[in-house]
Amino acid sequence: MPYPLKIALQSLWREKWINLLSMLTIAMGLLVISLVFSSLYNVGLFTRTLPEKFFIVAYLKDGLAENEIQKIVASIKASGPVEKVTYISKDEALRELKQSLKDAEYIVGGLDENPLNTLFPVSLKREAVGPEKVKELAGSLRKMNGIDDVQYGEKFLLSIDSVRTGMETIGLILMTVMISGVIFICYSTVKILFYRRKEEIETLKLLGATKTFIRTPFVIEGSVIGMAGGILSFAIALAFYFSVFSKLSATVPLMKTVVFPFDMFLLLPAVGLFLGVTGSLIALGRIRFE
Amino acid sequence: MITFEGVSKYYDTTTALRNITLSVGRGETIFVTGPSGAGKSTLLKLIYAAEFPDTGRVTVDEWQSDRRNGSNIPSLRRNIGIVFQDFRLLGNRNVYDNVALALRVRKVPEREVKAHVLDALKMVNLRHKTDSFPPALSGGEQQRVVIARAVVGDPIIVLADEPTGNLDPDTAAGIMRIFKEINARGTTIVIATHNRELFRDTGKRVFRLDNAAVASEERG
Ligand SMILES: Nc1ncnc2c1ncn2[C@@H]1O[C@H](COP(=O)(O)OP(=O)(O)OP(=O)(O)O)[C@@H](O)[C@H]1O
Ligand SMILES: [Mg+2]
Repeated sequence: MPYPLKIALQSLWREKWINLLSMLTIAMGLLVISLVFSSLYNVGLFTRTLPEKFFIVAYLKDGLAENEIQKIVASIKASGPVEKVTYISKDEALRELKQSLKDAEYIVGGLDENPLNTLFPVSLKREAVGPEKVKELAGSLRKMNGIDDVQYGEKFLLSIDSVRTGMETIGLILMTVMISGVIFICYSTVKILFYRRKEEIETLKLLGATKTFIRTPFVIEGSVIGMAGGILSFAIALAFYFSVFSKLSATVPLMKTVVFPFDMFLLLPAVGLFLGVTGSLIALGRIRFE
Repeated sequence: MITFEGVSKYYDTTTALRNITLSVGRGETIFVTGPSGAGKSTLLKLIYAAEFPDTGRVTVDEWQSDRRNGSNIPSLRRNIGIVFQDFRLLGNRNVYDNVALALRVRKVPEREVKAHVLDALKMVNLRHKTDSFPPALSGGEQQRVVIARAVVGDPIIVLADEPTGNLDPDTAAGIMRIFKEINARGTTIVIATHNRELFRDTGKRVFRLDNAAVASEERG
């Protein structure tokens, strides 16, 4: 067995408790980070689909000719941020209303005249769904000839907006705090390992060891600890997925929309390895001979 | 092999060495003696580049203290075997691994390590302690492990700082015979000691340090 590997394994075994502790620390850190990350990922997915559920409804004045209606449709389409315009004639609107009232058809059953307007649900391009732009667009639609009224869910719009900015801010803060916390914990664990071997490193230097000779066992140790931590966190994530998550999403409807970012968890062992190696290199610092 | 040219070394307010000029020839053995605190260890540290002169220049083979850089110090040290006054054994490695370390830093192939280490341990009569750990050894035994580690790599220079400080006269005489043997193979040896017995009747040069300066040079 190559000497540096032997030394690394020896010291991994000899210091098994503190090494185990470092490994658990890294595993927990990675888990916390991936938990935060997957929540953010899901919140991001969710807020991104919200604008698709938003639309402005334009009601037409009564008694417009077909070609006038087509003209209006065309000019709505021409206004910048419009994604799609649907045309629902007043007969269609009534049919839909009747359908949705199925059991209570008597409410509309007695009407001789259709009280509804022809209407256009106008859905917007995703990036246009914001309080300012929507207000502007609604204003310009309202001014169009033939349009009677324009309505949109102002409250819904505002909440989309605040949910989005709120989540972005919280996510950013949480990520920063978590990542710096984990880095700090990794750093201090490795620093402890380093101080336990400070004297040994001093002696190695005096015996004529090169930097590589001194570093190699350290880096091997760090990578083993880091990778073990990564694999452990991956295993825990997997266990969580199969024991809790998959069951929850099968029974709780809300959980169905939650995505478990598998690819990200596959990265954990590699991230652990990276943390272990950089951690040990940082803890070793520059090796100076003078 | 080793030259000091007008070398001074200061620690804050203490002068450890003042204007030292001396040279040691290839294959020579010299002694450095003097009272405690005279600067013997400091003189050796300047040779293995654990300290650097504040004035003057130290030359060791091809290495010069005023042309040093981070990468030529390890190779300088691999030319030297050192018996440290404070031993510097690794408490968490056994005697075998402590001695083997001197070979491993020299990139000696692992299959040759064992024979050399066991030879060196036999030389200092510690063959039976191969698997012990330094904290479980007596002071004199630890000192002999250090000596084995210093000579096992067959260095061109051996520096020994108080190598018999913990040894009884008979064992000390045994150690001096080892130094004599490796000197006969052409190794340059510098021994720092306050024990006059070591250099009596050797015929070697003895530098007596007193208060950071060379007070006299004589023959043992
Ligand atoms: N790292 C240091 N920092 C400050 N002063 C030091 C340092 N090392 C040595 N000295 C001082 O330099 C002087 C010479 O020390 P040195 O160790 O060379 O003496 P020595 O001759 O080896 O003594 P001994 O026989 O006790 O080993 C002493 O006064 C000591 O206190
Ligand atoms: Mg000394």
